[in-house]
Amino acid sequence: MTAIHLHDVHFRWSPQANDILHIPELHIPRGELVFIQGHSGSGKTTLLNLIAGIHRPQQGKVQVLETDLTTLSATKRDQFRAQHLGIIFQQFNLLPYLSLLENVQLSCQFSTKRKAKVGDLLKASLRLLDELQIARSMLHKSVNTLSVGQQQRVAVARALIGQPEIIIADEPTSSLDNDNRQRFLDLLFSEVKQQDSTLIFVSHDAALSTHFSTVIKLNELNLAETISS
Amino acid sequence: MILLKLAAKSIWNRKVSLSLAMISIAISILLLLGVDKIRKETKDNFINTISQTDLIVGARSGSVNLLLYSVFRIGNATHNLSYQSYQEIAAMPRVKWTIPISLGDSHRGFRVMGTNQDYFRYYRYSNQKPLAFKQGQQFTDLYDAVIGYEVAKQLNYQLGQEVIIAHGLVSTAFSLHDDKPFKVVGILQQTGTPVDHTIHVSLQGIEAIHVDWQTGTRSAISISAEKARTMDLQPKTITAFMLGLERKIDTFRLQRQINQYRAEPLMAILPGATLAELWQMIGQFEKVLMLISGFVLVAGLIGLLTTLLTTINERRREMAILRTVGAHGYHIGLLFMLEAIFIVAGGCGLGVVLFYIVQIMLQSWLSASYGLYLTISLLDTQQWMILGAAILFGMLLSLLPAWLAYRYSLQDGLMVKN
Repeated sequence: MTAIHLHDVHFRWSPQANDILHIPELHIPRGELVFIQGHSGSGKTTLLNLIAGIHRPQQGKVQVLETDLTTLSATKRDQFRAQHLGIIFQQFNLLPYLSLLENVQLSCQFSTKRKAKVGDLLKASLRLLDELQIARSMLHKSVNTLSVGQQQRVAVARALIGQPEIIIADEPTSSLDNDNRQRFLDLLFSEVKQQDSTLIFVSHDAALSTHFSTVIKLNELNLAETISS
Repeated sequence: MILLKLAAKSIWNRKVSLSLAMISIAISILLLLGVDKIRKETKDNFINTISQTDLIVGARSGSVNLLLYSVFRIGNATHNLSYQSYQEIAAMPRVKWTIPISLGDSHRGFRVMGTNQDYFRYYRYSNQKPLAFKQGQQFTDLYDAVIGYEVAKQLNYQLGQEVIIAHGLVSTAFSLHDDKPFKVVGILQQTGTPVDHTIHVSLQGIEAIHVDWQTGTRSAISISAEKARTMDLQPKTITAFMLGLERKIDTFRLQRQINQYRAEPLMAILPGATLAELWQMIGQFEKVLMLISGFVLVAGLIGLLTTLLTTINERRREMAILRTVGAHGYHIGLLFMLEAIFIVAGGCGLGVVLFYIVQIMLQSWLSASYGLYLTISLLDTQQWMILGAAILFGMLLSLLPAWLAYRYSLQDGLMVKN
């Protein structure tokens, strides 16, 4: 069972002549915890945009859960992402005008299938938030009152709700201090394992790689001459 | 739908800046509806200056001129018509009533009009309202006068006040009919028409003050007020007269008959038609006002656009978050459009509420100071169209931030811009 399979992928911004990403082969089995190490400008964000179906490569195949995203329309890819992916950013993952609970449930608002899979949305949200150690008293508060560590854990709850097959985390710990970082990783791993999701964790920080079963270095994977920004 | 909820919450989150934009739209809507209301009320009021009068008859001149001096007391008649012609026409079988008018004199800037008791009986203004007395009664004696509401108010006249009429329209010491003073016996209620600015006396009164005058100057032999009472005061000429018919259907026939009157050149006009013609000429300002108000609305909408556009860069992170949970670029565009529409629609709603509040507040003041009675009614088709046009225009303008948001969200993808 393959979570992600990239084959001979070329991507460039259309007016430019040079590829910014060229990956001959990338294979990630389901259930893996994968660490992709790359500094900024190594094509990290582009790779994630391809896997998430935001961008389509000029050439090659991007298969996610045995579905070739390059054959899907942009709208279909958005639906696919809503249904099967959970995404966590470095920081500012939450919409400032929604409450904590509404932010968690946002993942199910653009996919009826994912919502259906959750069943009781409130129950599922509360279970996740409990496990992620977010106090019940904060549920209806504005997310602006949360600490960065709490914000990142709410983002995990949003990514995980509805048990998506793939979780993508882009530098999720870089805004956290050491104590919070360890706590965050522990909670993330335990939730991902519990749901049997595939985790793709992207970071420049090689020290984190010890926690993962598979480590991929992006500068070895990407054959395109990258322009560091 | 989730987008509606998101748009509402997002607006609420930025309520201070957006409510300012909304208030500026509300004020421009208030202005547009207000100007529209005032122009309709003024026009109604103007067209209804005189009502139920089928024809106005005067010496042959221009129809607008005849209307101006007979109804609005503006300008002068070039010729008078003979009292005999008046009596002949008044006696025609289809004629129900007539009101003779004799103009030419004034009192401290207010026109004096000679007429008879039929004036108080038949004259109608603004949807068939008869004249009513605030104090006193109509004239009975030769030297009685009935003054309009504004005359009493501005000159601070009470019943019993002595009124000296000046010959012509300018009061100089030489041309006062000071030998024959009149006495105020009645003060009319406010009508919001030129009646408020008129001093009414009997035709015989006008005749009496002129018995010892010849071609505009006092003659050598003066005749006292008491002596004048004993004389024959049947007028030889009058300025114009109004008439009402038994049946409206005869209007055009009688008009033609009067226009072809053999004894002297006469002209009969339909007051409604001539008022409409006059409004055409002087009513241009309303279009200018509407145009200006329209521009104020455009300025308000552009203000909103500015508010939306300045935040668009700050909100690129928000777009990325929505994209991760599966929103498409068009969802993001739609979200921005919905926000704009909410605010414009909210501004329209608030504007309508303000419009009614202002009307209720101004109603009594307008009626007291200008005699303009505001009828508070539901929005008419034109006013709904103003609101519709505002929302439509707001939607059109919202396409710009929507399109930008759509472009950014497709371009940025998951990349979080700070």
